[in-house]
Amino acid sequence: MNAVFSWIAACLSAGADALGRPLLAPLGVLPGWLSATLVAAATGVILLIAFKYTSNQRSIKRVRDDLDANLLALKLFKDSTAVTLRSQGRLFVGGFRLMLLALVPMLVMALPVTLLLGQLALWYQSRPLRVGEQAVLTLALGGDAKAPWPHVRLRPSNAVQVELGPVRVRSKRELCWTLKPRAAGLHRLTFDVDGRPVDKQLAVGDGLMRVSALRPGWDWEEILLNPAEAPFRPGAAVRSIAVAFPTRSSWTSGTDSWLIYWFVVSMAAALVFRRALGVKV
Amino acid sequence: MTNVTRRTLLTGTAAAATIGAAGWAAGNYWVGGRRNPSRALGKKVIIIGVDGMDPRLCERMIATGQLPNLAKLRDRGGFSDLGTSVPPQSPFAWANFINGAGPGSHGIFDFIHRHPENQCATFYSAAETAPGEGSWDVGDHRLQLDFWPFNHKLPATVLRRQGTPFWDYLDKAGVPSTFYDLPSNYPASPSHYHHHRCLCGMGTPDMLGGYGTYQHFSESGPAERLDEGGGMRARLVFDDETASARLVGPEDPLLKSPRPIEIPFLVHRDREANAAVIEIQRRKIVLAAGQWSPWTRLDFTMSTPWFVPSQGVRGICRFYLQQVAQPFRLYVTPINMDPAAPAQKISEPESFVTGLAARLGPFYTTGFQEDHKARSNGVFTDDEYARQAGMVLDERLALFDRAVDDFEDGLLFFYFSSSDLQSHIFWWDSDDKHPIRTGPEARARFAHVRGLYGKLDAVIGGLWDRHGDNATIIVMSDHGFANFGRQFNLNSWLRDSGYLGPPECTSIMKDVDWSQTLAYGLGINGLYLNLKGRERDGLVEPGDREAVLNELIARLEAVTDVDGKRVVRGVYRSDRLYQGDATALAPDLIVGYARGYRASWETCLGDLTGDVLLDNNSAWSADHCADALEVPGVLFSNRPIHGRAPSLVDLAPTILAEFGLRAPPSMVGKNVFG
Repeated sequence: MNAVFSWIAACLSAGADALGRPLLAPLGVLPGWLSATLVAAATGVILLIAFKYTSNQRSIKRVRDDLDANLLALKLFKDSTAVTLRSQGRLFVGGFRLMLLALVPMLVMALPVTLLLGQLALWYQSRPLRVGEQAVLTLALGGDAKAPWPHVRLRPSNAVQVELGPVRVRSKRELCWTLKPRAAGLHRLTFDVDGRPVDKQLAVGDGLMRVSALRPGWDWEEILLNPAEAPFRPGAAVRSIAVAFPTRSSWTSGTDSWLIYWFVVSMAAALVFRRALGVKV
Repeated sequence: MTNVTRRTLLTGTAAAATIGAAGWAAGNYWVGGRRNPSRALGKKVIIIGVDGMDPRLCERMIATGQLPNLAKLRDRGGFSDLGTSVPPQSPFAWANFINGAGPGSHGIFDFIHRHPENQCATFYSAAETAPGEGSWDVGDHRLQLDFWPFNHKLPATVLRRQGTPFWDYLDKAGVPSTFYDLPSNYPASPSHYHHHRCLCGMGTPDMLGGYGTYQHFSESGPAERLDEGGGMRARLVFDDETASARLVGPEDPLLKSPRPIEIPFLVHRDREANAAVIEIQRRKIVLAAGQWSPWTRLDFTMSTPWFVPSQGVRGICRFYLQQVAQPFRLYVTPINMDPAAPAQKISEPESFVTGLAARLGPFYTTGFQEDHKARSNGVFTDDEYARQAGMVLDERLALFDRAVDDFEDGLLFFYFSSSDLQSHIFWWDSDDKHPIRTGPEARARFAHVRGLYGKLDAVIGGLWDRHGDNATIIVMSDHGFANFGRQFNLNSWLRDSGYLGPPECTSIMKDVDWSQTLAYGLGINGLYLNLKGRERDGLVEPGDREAVLNELIARLEAVTDVDGKRVVRGVYRSDRLYQGDATALAPDLIVGYARGYRASWETCLGDLTGDVLLDNNSAWSADHCADALEVPGVLFSNRPIHGRAPSLVDLAPTILAEFGLRAPPSMVGKNVFG
């Protein structure tokens, strides 16, 4: 099952990356807070429109009207215990029905949102290495614990200096290096694995860049969350290659907090535009 | 033309008022950043505190041209010995500097004090943690909630230094003062007028609450974790070249029976590459043998009841891979508080240290940064210690550069510990037999101390080049240094002389008989009478006090070593030496050891040894806890020093005078430039 999901995830990620790479390219020239705000607001509006056309607006309106009526009943007949209790019960049921009505659009939107978040994570989850800043590179080998180790060599590059490595982690079939970039740019590290070339991106520079922390293995979750590089197929000599990029420090566009900011701003944008777009939520 | 309706007028007025209020608030906020404009009027005073810098060595090096910048200061008349405190111990001496007065004002007399009502229960003299009051027990957890309706009192660490520090007067007068690594000021005393900033120095604990506890992991370590003063050792067992271990963190205060929070980590070694990979909290650190890691952040998560959100504290440490095989050895620095998110208040204001961390990254925050315990306990070799201490100095020099760049006017104080903690290990200025080194080795290591003085001379030269005579520059130390070849067990001497019993007593904390004990030693230089009415089990009648004290002084000053050398240069009565309101915990006598001698390691915490005089066989082969006259500090300035025999207490009045402020009556010192 994982193989099927992984194949689907790989196809979807490749498609999302083909779209996301050019569409989100302007993020690299905008300040982080501005790009995070614009993207979140635009996403909120787009998701709102998607909600409009994937939800049963007529049912939602009916439930909303019912909720309003019961709220009014609560105000008008607050001296009547029976009416109050009945209205409260209906409010509760109404809220539950609204949730059910939102289920279909949520299911429809879940996948595009996941793909979008995967693309945004490339920009905000980590920052690129700075020139001269060390980072640990880990290449995980495929095969079982007792399989012979392939010959692995990191090709020399003008862009990157190998400070230390490879250091073998026998119990995990991993090889680690410490790298120190020499030049800014989006570099490609090339390994010779038993004579076959294997690549990994390495982002070096200041400001915002697409940072691919992991070239994933054949695992659908990893593939969706790390869409910038083609995953390693099952049975490949290499299972994954990871670079420990530093965290980005920002409330709006920094590691982990960008996701909260995106959620809050997209929700706010959706709420602001819901009347103008005539969407019942 | 538009008609102005009442509604429009009101709306416009309200909008204008809102914008005006917002502008006013924003203005205040901006001014708030510099909300306390300096009243130093461009006056600059820079004090470089070089702990343990010795005037005799300075003179010798100046004479041979090795300290050209300090020589320039001396040639201007800005050089003198600086009288130190009695006894010359750092927390004590720096407290004299801070108050401009002796221990009668600040109440610090030794590294450790005792509570006489508990006979000799000890505590650190400069700070004490008061336990909390009240709690709510939930299962295995004990919650202390300091809000209504619980109103529990939380445990708090309090600064025990009494009196008014001199910067309070500067603060009140609007003169900005900034202190980096100030000793004897943890937790940082508050600034009432917001002109004072301070990063705490000596006395600041690590995350485990001590002065610095390293952790050492080795294949040849003990099977059970071993606590050895200042460090812990544990054994690593490799399986398929991977070993698991646990890093010990702070105690979990939310548990009824607090136990340390531990962080598991893995070590993978590659003998072929002569390197290892450390995996900790989902991070990897790759180290070659002999390599140090950068600072690594550690998150310690406390155990909480299900209904309390998770809580944690953050520390930092560095790993040093000493050896990959035969045996594998890994050193971990004491876990320091993370300056970006300190678990305790280590600066005033609290944002001072976080601001520094944002600009400089992580740095040592414990008071004792050079890991002398690792050297004394044999975890470090001399070279490894020198390297670690060199890294500390480099880190501090980066902080110093930042401090000098940021300094506009007022007072800047910067403290260097390297000269003290490297001298303790590497100082040896005679041809006498060194405790652990051959003669040539001792000379080579002493050359390292000279090199360090040279480095600090260059720092001072750079400072003078930058500020010239636009700033008053003062370079000072709290004491000098002396060899420590022989150790004297004061309690053993008291036992052998019939003042402490029974004769088979091994420790005043365990098996002393107070009904046979007239006096006891505690701390490095303190001697206390077992006085009736003061000590819980007091024996000496107040009426006999004078006679016993005089007898003790005479007999102690007559003690000689096997070669006939005097062991004690002088014994001082605190009631004649100290003046002020804060003398309640003072020892009765202060023992001033002759050069080459010091209180024995055992006697400091009350243990007794068979012999009274022993060789010091520790790597800690030099000290300053001798007679104050043996180890004066040093004072350099780019202004001529006029005062005769200046001492530490003179510096606070001098600084105040530089800013046109009069010294308060509580200060006993005089302006050295006056």
